[in-house]
Amino acid sequence: MARFAFKAPSRPFRIGREGLLLAALVVLCTIFASQSEFFLSERNLTTILRNSVDLAVVCAGMTIVIILGGIDVSVGGIVAVSAVLIGRAYQYGMPDWVVIPVGLAAGALLGALNGAIISKTRVPPIVATLGTMYIYIAVLFLVIGGVWISGLPNTLSFLVLGDFMGLPAGVFVIGFIYVFSWLLLRRTPWGQRVVAIGCDEVAARLVGIRVDRTKIQAYALLGLFAGIAAILYVARLRNVEVNIGTNIALEAIAATILGGANIRGGIGSLIGTLMGVLFIKITQNGLVLIGVSSLWETVVIGGLLIVVLILDALETRRVS
Amino acid sequence: MAETLKLSMKGIVKRFGGVVALDSVDFELRRGEVMALVGDNGAGKSTLIKTLAGAHMPDEGVMELDGDAVRFTSPQDAWRRGVATIFQELALAGKMTIADNIFLGREITRTVAGIPFLDRRAMHKRSRELLEELDVVVPDIHTWVEYLSGGQRQGVAIARALNIDADVIVMDEPTAALAVAEVRKVLEFIKTLRRQGKSVVLISHNVQDVFEVSDRITVLRRGRRIGLLETEKTTPEEVVGYITGAAETKRRPEAAH
Repeated sequence: MARFAFKAPSRPFRIGREGLLLAALVVLCTIFASQSEFFLSERNLTTILRNSVDLAVVCAGMTIVIILGGIDVSVGGIVAVSAVLIGRAYQYGMPDWVVIPVGLAAGALLGALNGAIISKTRVPPIVATLGTMYIYIAVLFLVIGGVWISGLPNTLSFLVLGDFMGLPAGVFVIGFIYVFSWLLLRRTPWGQRVVAIGCDEVAARLVGIRVDRTKIQAYALLGLFAGIAAILYVARLRNVEVNIGTNIALEAIAATILGGANIRGGIGSLIGTLMGVLFIKITQNGLVLIGVSSLWETVVIGGLLIVVLILDALETRRVS
Repeated sequence: MAETLKLSMKGIVKRFGGVVALDSVDFELRRGEVMALVGDNGAGKSTLIKTLAGAHMPDEGVMELDGDAVRFTSPQDAWRRGVATIFQELALAGKMTIADNIFLGREITRTVAGIPFLDRRAMHKRSRELLEELDVVVPDIHTWVEYLSGGQRQGVAIARALNIDADVIVMDEPTAALAVAEVRKVLEFIKTLRRQGKSVVLISHNVQDVFEVSDRITVLRRGRRIGLLETEKTTPEEVVGYITGAAETKRRPEAAH
């Protein structure tokens, strides 16, 4: 029988997004270090890391949801509701072993609610979660009543502020969440379902994947991570502000897209996302240190985001 | 009947509102046979295939698989019974590897600490075997399906059907959007399947392809089966005559049995 040799590139041609980001991070750090001698100090680097922990945790979940072909702009609201419930629980004198499950359960439930609305009503995720964001923020205000919750116990502060084996504890929190997420996404059948749905939902249904269930699970996982972020937030600051979670959704989406996730689904990188988080947090920190208005921070991140999206669009056009 | 029937459909009726898409259609498939299903647009080919695939429930009629009455409630249900339909869209995930696609929805796992982890090594090994059997040449099992040619994708879709031990493989216009060399390859796939004793239903517009690989030809016209022909005993002209209706006036379909 004649053999036909088909020609096709064996691997998608990409100048590794992670490599590009790493280069950008090095350039960024070099600039900041040359302008401020404090930038590379151990204390400042630890501060950057501590400020990154809650965003990084949320971003692991956001990466999975974006790979699924979804998006969740309500994560800030989920963090807020979880945090305010945690704060109230502490105020009622509840111990950590009650408070932690309350925060996690609240997050997972609100996330599952997002997933259920999206999969059962077929409302586009961005619109559905915009709606729930308003509701979650309203819940926050109803519970918090416009007054900060402050003076919360410091029993969990070691998770963010402590040191472990000579490294900030946050490194281990981030490490645990990312290894867990990576295993789930790349080494289990559940992760295969997520990627397949992100590639082609109709195809996923045809091969018998329970699309709705997988979606609800993915959004619930993101909610759970938002609950963890709320616990870390409370542990770090020991208060709950009225404007908690305001920026986290946009930062999380920006970090995930910067990290190589495709907003159309199917593609994403947890390592890239983590670098995206560092990029955002280092930019915020460095610009303050060198005395540039923090307004420029959003310009830098926004500009880079647009560049990345244009590159993605060009890539897509080239392939098709 | 001399040959054993793998599958038979009798008196299948499917209506959509007032439109009768299938008007008491009979269809049969022998073991190890390639049955072509031809007809003009709107003749009822895809409705018949969707009924066979479990995507439509017929309003009337019976279906038998290996002599047992069956009723497929969904495409997954049909797959489980060994009837795999490869639709034109192929149901492949572009940004996943060949092996991951072949095992999509039915991965091999190895349980570590209670968690089912993918056994990629086993999946790759089996994928290579399946592609080898079909003589599908791919650069690398780790290639994203998106980067494969149309013929290669057909090969992956067929390999997936073989992986679940499907013995009836229904292919909906598999050569429609392919270059000439690729068409040849897909026709080779079909011959390979027949050699392995699989039954194949080939839906095609291309009479030339049909004559190259099929054993028998079912012709649908306006929701009815108007011809069941032995490929060796007919001619492309006659088949086209049936498709367009020109043959209807000359002789009745019974003559073809």
